[in-house]
Amino acid sequence: MVERLTADQGKTAPDISDEDIYEAMKEIPGYLDITPGDFKEVYVLAYRQAQERLLHRATAKEIMTREVAWVRVDTPLQEVAELMAQRGVSGVPVLDGANRVVGVISEKDFLKRMSSQGITNFMAVVAGCLRDKGCKAVGIRGRQADDLMNSPAVTVREDTPVLEIAALFKEKAINRVPVLDAQGRLAGIVSRGDLLNLAPFRGGKA
Amino acid sequence: MKYWQKMRGTTKSPPRVSLVEIAWSWLGAFLGILAVAYLNYQILSGTTLVMVIGSFGASAVLIYGAIKSPLAQPRNLMGGHVFSAIIGVSVYKLLPAAPWLAAPLAVATAIAVMHATRTLHPPGGATALIAVIGGAKIHSLGYWYVLVPAGLGALIMLAVALLVNNIPRTRSYPEYWF
Repeated sequence: MVERLTADQGKTAPDISDEDIYEAMKEIPGYLDITPGDFKEVYVLAYRQAQERLLHRATAKEIMTREVAWVRVDTPLQEVAELMAQRGVSGVPVLDGANRVVGVISEKDFLKRMSSQGITNFMAVVAGCLRDKGCKAVGIRGRQADDLMNSPAVTVREDTPVLEIAALFKEKAINRVPVLDAQGRLAGIVSRGDLLNLAPFRGGKA
Repeated sequence: MKYWQKMRGTTKSPPRVSLVEIAWSWLGAFLGILAVAYLNYQILSGTTLVMVIGSFGASAVLIYGAIKSPLAQPRNLMGGHVFSAIIGVSVYKLLPAAPWLAAPLAVATAIAVMHATRTLHPPGGATALIAVIGGAKIHSLGYWYVLVPAGLGALIMLAVALLVNNIPRTRSYPEYWF
């Protein structure tokens, strides 16, 4: 998982040798007034420049997942859990009657209610179940989405730069953020994993 | 990098150009120098005017032999010769009795001015130097040296470069004008 994404960490040095450049220079007719070494230096710097530009210019729209699993404020938590299990996601946006994103429910919100000693991870819940006998989820049975959701929802726009989203993940300690279109409707969701779909990380050795 | 290690170099020499490239370099240089030398020896002989100076040999290497080089572009060719000529004549007029000092001062200042004006053209250094060490005939030209031979000679060589360098399919000149 990407814990921290900065322009600097995204940088990779292109794997190019003086020999590659020498061969390329042979293909260009005419005398090139530059040594292979200097050309390589220019190339490496230009490559980094391009990477940085991609990181800064890439927006939520380009990397977001469009098929979003979402729930209503009055969706029973049992259905919320079933949906998340089926879709294999760790969080879903919560929409009100007017289709506005009013919150987000994540695994963490369930775990928070199910673990007794303030440790909000799965193993804490397992430990609690083994110790106390019985299912820890019983306490929230019959409740609905808006009882558990994190509200107000942290959202971004389709044109929010990816670097800003990465900073938001870190600052708010969240793992996903719903993306709203110009009309404020849910258009997609960006998770930490989606950041890895960025061009600088695809194919290159990160 | 350690001081002494730097002297070992870091990379290899660029590749040799093709025979076609060599042939066009030869032809361009031949015609370019022919133009200024013919003017100098056949038309202007007997006058006080000079059309060919040593630095044009160096310009020919660039504008006919390394035509993609930034150093070989029109801005650099014209600016380099004209600015350096101004510097050279001025420095000689300031220090006519001390050529040992005027010569390095002219060349070094010419380089600085060419850098500052983005007109770096190595033969400009020679143009500045010749203004100081070129002898009585050059000295008698005064600031005319800037226009003829430096400016006009460079202009004629530029015209030849434009005409010749654009004939072969694989060549194109200039990369930029200004």
